[in-house]
Amino acid sequence: MSFEPRIVGILCNWCSYTGADLAGTSRMKYAPNVRVVRVMCSGRMDPTLVLKAFQEGADGVLLAGCHIGDCHYISGNLKTLRRIPLLKRVLVELGIEPERLRLEWVSASEGARYQGVVNEFVEQIRSLGPLDLEARRLPATASAS
Amino acid sequence: MASKIGVYVCHCGMNIAGTVDVPAVIEAAKAMPRVALSKEYKFACSDPGQEMIKQDIKAHGLDAIVVAACSPLMHEKTFRRAVEAAGLNPFLLSIANIREQGSWVTEDPAKATEKAKAIVAGAVFRAARQEPLEMRSVEIHRAALVVGGGIAGIQAALDLADSGIPTTLVERQPSIGGYMAMFDKTFPTLDCSACILTPKMTAVGQHENIKLMAYSEVESVSGFVGNFQVRIRRKAAYVDHTKCNGCGMCMEKCPYKAPSEFDQGLSQRRAIYVPFAQAVPNKPVIDPATCVRFKGKKCKTCIKFCEPGAIDFEQKDSVEEVTVGSIVVATGFQPMDAKKIPQLAYGRHPEVYTALEFERLNNAAGPTQGKILTKDGRVPQSVAILNCTGSRDTNYHEYCSRVCCMYALKYAHLIKEKLHEATVFDFYIDMRCFGKGYEEFYRRLQDEGVRFIRGKAAQVFGGKEYKAIANAAGFIDGLEDHQLVVQAEDSLLGKLIRVPVDMVVLTPAVEARADADEVGRKFLVSRGADGFFLEQHPKLAPVSTTNDGVYIAGACQGPKDIPDSVAQGSAAAGKALGLIARREVEVEGTTASVVDELCSGCKCCLTLCAYNAISFDADRHRSSINEVLCKGCGTCVASCPSSAIKAKHFTDEQIFAEIEGLMSM
Amino acid sequence: MDVATPFIEVANAIVEAGGKDLNLCYQCATCTGSCPWGYVEPLNIRQLIHLAQLGLEGYESEDLWKCTTCGTCKTRCPRGVGIIDLVRSIRMMIGETGLIPLTLRSALGSVRGDGNPWNGSRVERNRWAGPLQVPIFDKARTEYLLYGCCMASYDVRSRKIVEAAVRVLRAAGVTFGVMGQGEECCAESVRKIGEESLFERVAGSNIELFKAQGVEKIIVLSPHCYDAFKNDYPALGGKFQVVHIVEKIASLLLLDKLRLERPVKAKVTYHDPCYLGRHNNLFDPPRMILSKIPGLEFEEMYRARELSLCCGGGGGRMWMETKFGQRFSDLRIPEALAVGANVLATSCPYCVNMLQDSRLNLNKEEAIEVKDLTELVAESLV
Ligand SMILES: Cc1cc2nc3c(=O)[nH]c(=O)nc-3n(C[C@H](O)[C@H](O)[C@H](O)COP(=O)(O)OP(=O)(O)OC[C@H]3O[C@@H](n4cnc5c(N)ncnc54)[C@H](O)[C@@H]3O)c2cc1C
Ligand code: SF4
Ligand code: SF4
Ligand code: FES
Repeated sequence: MSFEPRIVGILCNWCSYTGADLAGTSRMKYAPNVRVVRVMCSGRMDPTLVLKAFQEGADGVLLAGCHIGDCHYISGNLKTLRRIPLLKRVLVELGIEPERLRLEWVSASEGARYQGVVNEFVEQIRSLGPLDLEARRLPATASAS
Repeated sequence: MASKIGVYVCHCGMNIAGTVDVPAVIEAAKAMPRVALSKEYKFACSDPGQEMIKQDIKAHGLDAIVVAACSPLMHEKTFRRAVEAAGLNPFLLSIANIREQGSWVTEDPAKATEKAKAIVAGAVFRAARQEPLEMRSVEIHRAALVVGGGIAGIQAALDLADSGIPTTLVERQPSIGGYMAMFDKTFPTLDCSACILTPKMTAVGQHENIKLMAYSEVESVSGFVGNFQVRIRRKAAYVDHTKCNGCGMCMEKCPYKAPSEFDQGLSQRRAIYVPFAQAVPNKPVIDPATCVRFKGKKCKTCIKFCEPGAIDFEQKDSVEEVTVGSIVVATGFQPMDAKKIPQLAYGRHPEVYTALEFERLNNAAGPTQGKILTKDGRVPQSVAILNCTGSRDTNYHEYCSRVCCMYALKYAHLIKEKLHEATVFDFYIDMRCFGKGYEEFYRRLQDEGVRFIRGKAAQVFGGKEYKAIANAAGFIDGLEDHQLVVQAEDSLLGKLIRVPVDMVVLTPAVEARADADEVGRKFLVSRGADGFFLEQHPKLAPVSTTNDGVYIAGACQGPKDIPDSVAQGSAAAGKALGLIARREVEVEGTTASVVDELCSGCKCCLTLCAYNAISFDADRHRSSINEVLCKGCGTCVASCPSSAIKAKHFTDEQIFAEIEGLMSM
Repeated sequence: MDVATPFIEVANAIVEAGGKDLNLCYQCATCTGSCPWGYVEPLNIRQLIHLAQLGLEGYESEDLWKCTTCGTCKTRCPRGVGIIDLVRSIRMMIGETGLIPLTLRSALGSVRGDGNPWNGSRVERNRWAGPLQVPIFDKARTEYLLYGCCMASYDVRSRKIVEAAVRVLRAAGVTFGVMGQGEECCAESVRKIGEESLFERVAGSNIELFKAQGVEKIIVLSPHCYDAFKNDYPALGGKFQVVHIVEKIASLLLLDKLRLERPVKAKVTYHDPCYLGRHNNLFDPPRMILSKIPGLEFEEMYRARELSLCCGGGGGRMWMETKFGQRFSDLRIPEALAVGANVLATSCPYCVNMLQDSRLNLNKEEAIEVKDLTELVAESLV
């Protein structure tokens, strides 16, 4: 059977989650591989959440928030934007391809964009193959609850 | 931690059950940790559906609830209320969105079912760790702000003020009125615009409950529903309006002129001016770009002639702060720049007019006292009106501007009325006459002899240009240099036609204002792909926004005519009133708080908060968060190196558990 | 009045053949009203599209081959219909039934056999490079491939353009070479005629050849080659950095690598080639270049930039006979004269040819010259 990636999506409530809902209300079809966690703002997207997702077996993590300038809390997304490069370096250290993490801006009116982003990301992860952290022996970093 | 979780999977008719195998999800849920009970229901949000959940909570002592149904943005509130009615804290509910992000976006039933199971597991794991929270209630400030004094904002302000609510109306221009103040007549009834608008404007100016701040702009907004703090900047008018008695001597005597914005540049106004005679407030402002004193010259004319001594060149911008409970944004639209369409010759040929220019040309109070004349003073024998200038056009605006067909008909009528001999051509793709009395108006105009040509005007040539480029085949008998040639295919004839006319009127698209982006940001109102402000729901919440307490009305939300703008103005006022009538609002207690024992005093969080809710206690060497100011975005939580900040209802533990659940299937 | 029954299968076939926007057309008629044929003998492209929507015929078969693919309608269409793609796919379907005009068939045969539409022999290709001592492209020594277009190899007038280009590029120190053997026509017009499979074959062979030689950057003289390389080749795997000579000259001037010092005493107007202007939005560089030539006086015609009048040579019309009185280029000469120009400049070998013909036919040799912009630049070198 072909490899079906399992991806955790973390979406901000105001733009991206609403945008994802809009894709639904507009009955746009897209790859079912992304499972979504809703947070209030992309500013809440803590690196440990990403590491936790990988640790739990996610093959990829999609973060999405409002476009720069549109954050409902003014600048939460800017803070997240700044966290990503460092987080990607950590991923490399852990033997995880940095492409497995993606940060996108999707507004509340961009259902079609959400559809496109998901489809594209799923394809990217599919071509990267399963993460299989066991085999890569990830040292336990994110503290399990 | 919850130990008896009830899971309810909704069919939503066929919306979910049509794709997701609901019984399979029920079975899977039964096997999830701490699930005590798992049921399906046709419409969980219905009264019997909610009743079932309430009964179960009581009968089985459930201590957390998962509803797998539509998006939490749809019905989280509904189910929270149900859960609360059964005596459970509403924050012990968790919604699994298996419709918008499940059944509706997945075609393959097996995959949709698998995804639904995972989403339910995420919600179940999360629910186990959710904690009861208290709602906070905040008092609503009994005052409102209306931004934009066009017809929509005027209506909203009057409705609010008439209900006894102190209302501040902020208008950028020196006078309220918006575009409507520029029109001579309004379709389809042909009422005189000034006759129906002026009384309303005056009412605004005199209303005891309205504080009119013209020539002003909102600088910043902070706070939240019920308690917005708004800073308003009033531009320096260089005239002390408390002294000015509106006599107008200054404007008569001022020797310096600039093109009148209100007359679309078709006439001149002075450096000290009111935009039009019926302006409200009817007090002049000095335009520093035109007044020579700002260029170092020594003119004193206005000072000399102003009897009450109101001229004040020392005046500075002033900033005022008001606190209001709700805000109505009614900032309107702008017409598209017709120069963007080179083939229509606007800006290249003097006799090609925009609609607004034509409104002024036709207005009894306009530059020609309402006489329709060419720039060189001739009475046009023929006029072409071109519909859809930049509307319904993917090169400019894909949407229909909704008013142009109708005002095109209005113009056709006015031309016919004033110049009986003139021929009027209207080039259209489709005539859209959807409103009350609109189709009847169309029929009337056909009866008045307007020539309708079905085919979008493709090209406009100046007469002289045309003669220079046309060959024998294109020769037009009697074409004069000052005329224009409109070229289109009459698609009903299947023939290319060229119509020589004396005047062309374009109908530039209604578009979002150039600064809509910035204004949207100030009020946290998002914009749609078309650039206009986005309502909370296109059908069910047309004047609400995703920012609680902020409403939108009029053409800032999308192209609309006066009746619709007024209706929205009233609707927004009604919404704002409804909010104020509640006296207090409950706000979710989903704020962040510092866990004292964990805080290391590193101060990393201090600069992160966009609302300045975090302060540092130097004595205790700890940060703390003011929960009244905190909006719960969680940015500080994610950045605290000691994990000492907790986002209530979005704790690390809860999100970790949700991820575990999502990945457990 | 005729009675018609829609034939939806035909409509669907057109969509499949590449006319994907067929159903988007809402019959506003902007296209017909914009088409340059309106100046001579109107072409009802709107109706042709509606017939296609219903899978009907009923247009004059000649009409279909009239379209010069000038793009005037396409850039104005409010529904964003790729009208030229529609024309191509309808032509493709007609082509399958063998109804291609005779002269076009001969040009296509020549492309098929000789790799150019002019019945020239393969060995003649790029022969002009010899006397000019232009080297064979070698990726170690030459940065650019200079692709002269079939016109430079088989048309005397166009050879002057390539000569000018060589002078200008040399003066600026650009290194370039020509392809030795095997280069073929860019096949832009072949595609517009609807011969998709021939286009793919010829383009494919060029792409393979360029890749094998390590070509990365190409300078072209014709906007048609430009459009094909830039917009059509990538889908076939040919991704090169393509610059039109006008773009290249403009950037050399901006970087101060080229000095135009010799005054050119002329009153010039500029004809925007469809494939440079409307198709690829290069409106400003030619005007910038003209403004840098000392002594030169410039005057715009009415139909400038987006409004430019097609010369009539695109879409395969180059190989078709256009009746006297219907040639667009015959309208352009008087227009240029009307603004007082004595040089009509352009930057496309097809345009130069068409306009040159009109100049002669209209007996205006004395009054006006037709020049490629590159030639004017070369004249201004010291
Ligand atoms: C040419 C033309 C003719 C028309 N004719 C008719 C007709 O005959 N009948 C009809 O029913 N409809 C007609 N309409 C439609 C009509 O103009 C609109 O329905 C109406 O103007 C919308 O009112 P509004 O208050 O929403 O916006 P506007 O009229 O645009 O008013 C908005 C106001 O807000 C102010 N403002 C903007 N931004 C800010 C800011 N940031 N801060 C403070 N103030 C701000 C502006 O200065 C303006 O005063 C016509 C439209 C056009 C273009
Ligand atoms: S311009 Fe576009 S939409 Fe209008 S008739 Fe032509 S193809 Fe159709
Ligand atoms: S591409 Fe040019 S020639 Fe062809 S139909 Fe459109 S406007 Fe006419
Ligand atoms: S609310 Fe969407 S990114 Fe901050």
